[in-house]
Order: sequence, then C-alpha cells, then structure tokens
Amino acid sequence: MAQPLLEVHDLHTVFATKNGNVKAVDGVSLELNPGETLGIVGESGSGKSVTALSVMRLQRPGKIVGGSVIYKGRDLTKATEGEMREIRGQDIAMIFQDPMTSLNPVFRTGWQVAEPVRLHHGLDRAKAMAVAVSMLGRVGIPTPETRARDYPHQFSGGMRQRAMIAMGLTTTPKVLIADEPTTALDVTIQAQILDLLRHVNRDFGTATILITHNLGVVAGMCERVMVMYAGRVVESGPTVDVFAHPKHPYTWSLLRSIPRLDAERHEPLKPIDGLPPDLIDLPSGCAFHPRCQFKVERCSRDTPVLNRVGETQLAACWVTQSGVELKGA
Amino acid sequence: MIVKFIARRLLASVIVVLGVTAVTLTLMDRTRGAYVPGLDLNPALRPEDIARLRADLGLDQPFYQWYVTWLWNVLHGDFGRSMIDGSPVLTHILERLPNTLELTLTAVVLGILISIPLGVIGALRRGSKTDHALTVFSVAGFAVPQFWLGLMLILVFSVTFEHYGWPWLPSGGVTSPFGGGDIGDRLLHLIMPATVLSFFYLSLWSRFTRSSMLEVLSQDYIRTARAKGMSERRVVYLHGLRNALIPLVTLIGLELPGLVSGGLIVEVVFSWPGLGRLAFERALQYDYTTVMGVVFFVTLLVVAGNLLADVLYAVLDPRIRYS
Amino acid sequence: MIDPGGITQLDLPGPAIEGEARRPAQSYWNESWERLRANRIGVFCGALILILALIAIAAPVFSQFVTHFDPARQHLSDNFRSPGHPYLLGTDELGRDTLTRLIYGGRVTLGVAFLTVALSLTLGTTVGLVAGYYGGWPDDILMRVVDVFLAIPAIFLFILMSILFRPNAITLAAIIASVGWGGVARLVRGEVLSVKQRDFILATRSIGARDLRLIFRHLLPNVLPVLIVAASLGVGQIILIEAALDFLGLGIQPPTASWGNMLTNAESYFFHSGWLVVFPGVTIFVTVLASNLFGNAVRDAFDPRLKAH
Repeated sequence: MAQPLLEVHDLHTVFATKNGNVKAVDGVSLELNPGETLGIVGESGSGKSVTALSVMRLQRPGKIVGGSVIYKGRDLTKATEGEMREIRGQDIAMIFQDPMTSLNPVFRTGWQVAEPVRLHHGLDRAKAMAVAVSMLGRVGIPTPETRARDYPHQFSGGMRQRAMIAMGLTTTPKVLIADEPTTALDVTIQAQILDLLRHVNRDFGTATILITHNLGVVAGMCERVMVMYAGRVVESGPTVDVFAHPKHPYTWSLLRSIPRLDAERHEPLKPIDGLPPDLIDLPSGCAFHPRCQFKVERCSRDTPVLNRVGETQLAACWVTQSGVELKGA
Repeated sequence: MIVKFIARRLLASVIVVLGVTAVTLTLMDRTRGAYVPGLDLNPALRPEDIARLRADLGLDQPFYQWYVTWLWNVLHGDFGRSMIDGSPVLTHILERLPNTLELTLTAVVLGILISIPLGVIGALRRGSKTDHALTVFSVAGFAVPQFWLGLMLILVFSVTFEHYGWPWLPSGGVTSPFGGGDIGDRLLHLIMPATVLSFFYLSLWSRFTRSSMLEVLSQDYIRTARAKGMSERRVVYLHGLRNALIPLVTLIGLELPGLVSGGLIVEVVFSWPGLGRLAFERALQYDYTTVMGVVFFVTLLVVAGNLLADVLYAVLDPRIRYS
Repeated sequence: MIDPGGITQLDLPGPAIEGEARRPAQSYWNESWERLRANRIGVFCGALILILALIAIAAPVFSQFVTHFDPARQHLSDNFRSPGHPYLLGTDELGRDTLTRLIYGGRVTLGVAFLTVALSLTLGTTVGLVAGYYGGWPDDILMRVVDVFLAIPAIFLFILMSILFRPNAITLAAIIASVGWGGVARLVRGEVLSVKQRDFILATRSIGARDLRLIFRHLLPNVLPVLIVAASLGVGQIILIEAALDFLGLGIQPPTASWGNMLTNAESYFFHSGWLVVFPGVTIFVTVLASNLFGNAVRDAFDPRLKAH
C-alpha cells in the first residue's frame, strides 16, 4: 500500500462572527492516495469547501485552530506562507465553482492559464504561453492559439471551466482539488466536464478531490466518497459500498430522499425532517440526532467517533456501530 | 467594437452640448432685448446705427432664429463679443484656457497620486487605526468649504509667514509680476490653489478607491490568484488594483463638472487668471455675452473630458471592448 | 459504479439560512430605525443638527435673551472687538455682533439648504419615477435633459442665473435645486428600474392596478430609502455650495447675514481680527460634518442594498 499523498488529521477551522464562533470544520480527517479520486459530499454549510481551503491555507478569515495537514512529510498548517506559496498551484492545485467569477476579467485567458507555470517554473513568456496553449488544447478547447488571446467573458461556461482546469494542470500538480466544478454549468456540459476530469485523473495520474453536493456527480467519478454534515465527517468509504448500503442515517436518508426513476409513481418523496444545525451552537452529541429517525438515548449525549462499520466503510454513528441495519419506512 | 462604443458616446456628447446651448440661450433670452452693442465704446451712436448693429447680431429675431445664428457663429469660432468693450469673447477664453487647464489637470493628477495609495492602504489595513484615521480625515475633508480652506491657507502661508519673515507662498496669480515666469516660480504659485482644489476630491477618491479595492479583493478571482501560489503583493497590485481602478475612472469623469466648478472658486480666491475667474469678473459687470461664451466653452471642455474618461474606461475594461 | 446516465440533479437538500427561524419578523422601517438609533455617532450628529436648526428657527428669541443684539445693528465704535463680554464672539468691521449674525445666518443657510433639498427631491423624484416607469422615449428624452444639467459645471450656471435673477433666499434655493435634481432623478430612475423587475409589480399589474396607483403605492415606497439616504448625504454639499455662492457675492446679499457672506470681506481683516475668518468657517465645517456623518449613519441604517444578514 503506497503512502497516502495527503493526510488530514482532526482538522478544526473556526470563523469568528459577532454571534459566536462558527465551527465550519469540526474534526475532519481524510486520506488521499496517489492517483485516486475522492469525493467530498455535503450540503451547503457542511464544511466541505472550507476543508479544502484549509488544506491550501486559504481559509481566511477563518482560522485553523487544531489538527494537521500532512503533505510530503510536512504539516501544512505549520508551514510558512512562503512555503505554502510554493505548494499552491504547483503541488496542489485548486479549481473553483464559478469560472465566470473565478477568472480575472481584465486579463487574457491564455495569460492567466500561463501564470502558474511562469511563476513556479520560471519560464519566459513565450514558453509559458506555449505550455498554456497546449494545455488548453488538451482540455478540449478548439483552436487554442487564438482562444488563448480571448478574455474570459468571451468563453461559454463550459469552455471557461475547461480553461480553469487547464490552468490548474499546467504545472502537473500531484493533487487537484475541484470545488463544485460543475454546479454552475448546464447538465449536458456537466457530463463533459466530469469526463474531462476523469481523463485528467487517468492520463496525468493527478489525485483528485471532488467537492460537490450532487450525489450523481460523485457516483460517476469518485472511487471513494466522504460524507460531511455540520463540519464533521459522518461516513466514508468506497463509493459503490456507501451508495449500496449506507452506514450513517444521514447518508441513508439522503439516498432515500432523491426522486428515483424506478420508484412507484404514487410514492411521496421522503425529505429529511428539520433544518441543518446552527454551526455556532451545535446540538449536543451527534449533530444529526435531532433529525434522525434511528436515534437512541446515547446519540444526544456523546459525539460519535468515526469507526469501522462493515468491511470497507467508516461511519460516525452509535446506532450502526452497534450493528443495527438501516431499514426504514 | 471600440469604435462603435466611442461613436455612441460621441453622439450622446453632441446631443448634450446642443442641450446645453439650448438651456443657456433660453436663459440669455431675457437679456437680449436690452443689449446695445458697442454702447460703452461710443455713446454717440445714432439709433440707426444701433438698429443696424442689433440686426447684424440678430438680436431682434425670434428665438429660434437667434439660436441658429448663435450656433452658426460658434461653429465658426465666433463666440460673440464682450458687452463691455466689444472684444471677441473667444480671444479672452483662449487666453485664459491654459491657466485653467494647468490648475485643473494638476489638481486631478495630485488627487489621483494621493488618493490611490491612501485608498489601498485603507483597504489592506481595514479596521486598523490607520484605516480609521484615514476615514476620519476623508470625512472631515468633505466638510471643509473650499473657499474657506483657500482663505486659511493664504492667511497662514502667505500673510503670516511673510509677516514673520519666513519663506512664504505667493497668494495669487500664475507667476510673480516681477522677474518670475520660470518653472520654479510657476510651481510656487501653483501649490496652494492645486492643493485646495484637489483637497475635496482626495477625500472622495480615497474612500472610493478603498471601497472599490475591498470589493475587488472579495471577488472569486482573487481567491483563484492566491490558489495559484503567487505573492500577496502580486495578488493585490496586479490582479486586484487593476480591477479596482476601473470604476475610479468613471467616477473622475463624473466629477469633472464639479472639479471645474470648484476651479472657479479657487481661481477667484487665488486671483488665478483662468476661465472661472473670467466668468466671475464679467458676471459682476453684467457682461452677459462673455459669461455665456465661457459657460458654453467650459461645458464643452467637461463633455470632452467625460468622453476621454469613457474611452479610457473602454481601454481598461475588456468587457466593454469586446462585447 | 452507479451509472449517472443523464445526470439528473440528485442534489442534496438546499441551504436553509442558518437560524432564520429564530429571528422575529420586523418591518423594514422598524429595523432601520433601530439600527439608526444604535449608531451613536449618527444619533449625536442628528441631535446636533436638530439643535442648530432649533437655534436658527428661534433666532429672534436667542438674540433677545442670550446675545442681546440685533444682527443688523451696527456699533461702529465697537468694531473689531475680540471675543469676550458683551460680544461673545466679537464684532465685525461695522461693529455687528458675530454670534448673533451666525445664528441668523444659520437661519438663512439652513433654510436655503432644506428648501433646496425639498425642491430637488420633488422634481428629481417625479422625473425619475416617470422616466423609470414608462421607459421608452420619455425615458430617453428625460435622461438626456438630466445629462445636460449634470454636464454644466454648477457654479457657472449659478453665476449666470444669479445675474439674471436677483436672488433672495427662495430663488437661491430654486437656482441650486435646478442643478441638483438631475442626480436625484438618475438615482430614482435606477431604483425604479430595479424594482420594476421584481415580480410583485407584475403581480399587481395582473390584478388590474392602474399606472398611477402602481407608481405611488408600490414604486414610491420602495424608492424612499434611497431618497432618504441621498437627501441626508446631500444636505452637506448644498450648504457648501450655498456658502460659496454667498461668499462670491452672488447669493444672499449683505446686510442679511449668512455664513458665506460673513467671510466675503473677512480676509482683509485677518490680521487683527482673525476670528472673523475662523468662526463662520468653523461653523460651516461643523454643520456640514455633522450633516455628513448623520447622512452616513442614515445610509448605513436604511440602505436596502447594504442589508447583509
């Protein structure tokens, strides 16, 4: 078993607000192996984006208040800003949700795509642009030499996202973090982008973390998946297993709340009761317990720990850890 | 693409200028009836002469005819003649124009050079003592009457300093009346008026730059830039400031009329021989034609300045250029 | 792997706004008022302006019981007195009491300022509402007119108008408002355009509401916050303009006192009677500052665009 490329241990990131401290990331651990694809799934506010930003130390104005992020033997939470700048864009690249707002509107696209390789590898303008153009071609943008001179607003949404991906890959990073890369796109374009990400993962061997709130995206793309709720990891494991037999009531309820083509037509949808919790004032014990239909007394008292449940999965649930199967009405 | 944009702005500018002429001439219509050209020069004019002069100038025609005549004349460079001495208004205007330009442009440049750094500092050190101090300074700067500031500066740096034998700043004019005229002398004369004129705008523009910077720095592409691993300086000054300055250009364009207005007050307080002071002096002497000519000309300048600002904006923002 | 097929939006439940259920519902006005009251600087400045206004209104009372002087009365043998007793802030070149003149001057300056704001707002709002609501060529024409008025450097226009129409306080307000309304019109039009997009306008139309009703009962209240903000921020500028015009001799003429014309000749007397320059200037400065700060507080409290939860 190869050494994990990236390890996160018990990460805590907090945002100070006038109403109190928002515990955006509340004890998250994960492992990423070379070349693998990991999906992080959760609602808005579950802490998935902040986790990724914390890895890159881009979580400002939040503060990392605990835990560690190990990359190449170094704890990134303790690295200097200079050391982080070496890593960002070169070892670990991140692409963001909305390519329209994530690209600088006043600079030409090619120039922006070439920027990381110019800065990190010291290439001169012409060579860097050549790299950028070639990468733009590889991500599927036709006539890349001319398009490189265009500004972001002259691209369509899908093309823009491809350009963003190209921008992340020019330095051949070891890790690519994609934060909701398809959310702002049309459904048909989504499929193309996911396809592209799959190719990138295969051809370049880049380990990919895919952050999304869309279970279908995870299903089509990621070998392993991690489910987050209220800043904590509630379940993780191989995607096939997690989807086939979820070991946490949250995952289980989610999968059941989705409209299915093979459902009986008269069956009502089954939403999850209640509202997501206030991250300043989390419920005692398990954060999900107020909305959980399997809860027992212990759930409101003790915070569950992520433990092995079943052969391949980890889940943070007292109920399933004690062997109960999740079945429901 | 950019040509179309400029053409559209040009057309709008022309319409505005025409509108301005309509407004000013409508106002001036009141005085037409009483104007007797050349009366001051030659009190012995006979009624027939007066009638002929008035007919030449189209003073008895219906309004629209007079308007057209006036417009026609202006397009040929004839801005009319002063009611005091019959001299061509355009001559006076062209005489004073360089001085006004010197003052206004210096004030703008000074304003920009100072307010951008102040605004950036305020944005980068948001909430700090420096930021608060700057905010207080700019809020106060808004409230100071320009003419009073000018008076106080003169009283301190000219009158008081001279009284105590310290090196003092000249209180008026473009150059010293005796033996001046070199660049150093001109600069000395320029310092106080330019400072006073730009003072108000310093406050406005630095606050604006600050809020523009803050907004830009909260944009997604700044986060992307940081994620690419570049230095914070590069993020802020190359990726950030470049975007933040674009609305400032528009703001400065919008402030041009105010700047020119303020220029008039400064010119009067500092006896600066510019267009503003010309209008003011002639107004006191009821020289309507000169005042009208100056108002029209000054508005032309402002409109031209606005057009320039629009062009600059298009150059800076590619979204306008290619859309 | 589960085949995504044609990826339908297998989305997780969308975001509910954290803690929204807890906050009690409050009307926009109440909320804004509370925010304003919580702003100490704003309240202080607002109170200051109010006090100044009251003093100005009660000027005759003040001059009778506090300063004991008439603003126009000259005490030629007592000219250029320094501040002290009985002339609390000194006298000017004709022996008139500075403090009394400042108080009466406040009447003029503040009176003109408020009148100007009222005129400017009325005209500007009307034009803005019509242009924004009807759109099309009325909008184009009206906005061109606004452009024209905004393009002319104000002071020049004022000079022209001052020599054509000999100004008293009321005509002066009209003159200053004749340029200011343009900015208001643009602002209102912008607000109307954005409010017009909102669905409730369409809904109201679809139940048969007539234009006028729509404008007054639905558009206007939504435009009001922006107006309030513009008015509070504008008062300070108008005071400065009015003072400048008076100083130049184109506004209120002596012997009626106004803060601006008290400074017209003061320059020549600086050396021996510095207070003549300082007091009126400082008064203007403090008033405008208070008004600006109050305006900022109002904007912070009332501006719907700044309402971030």
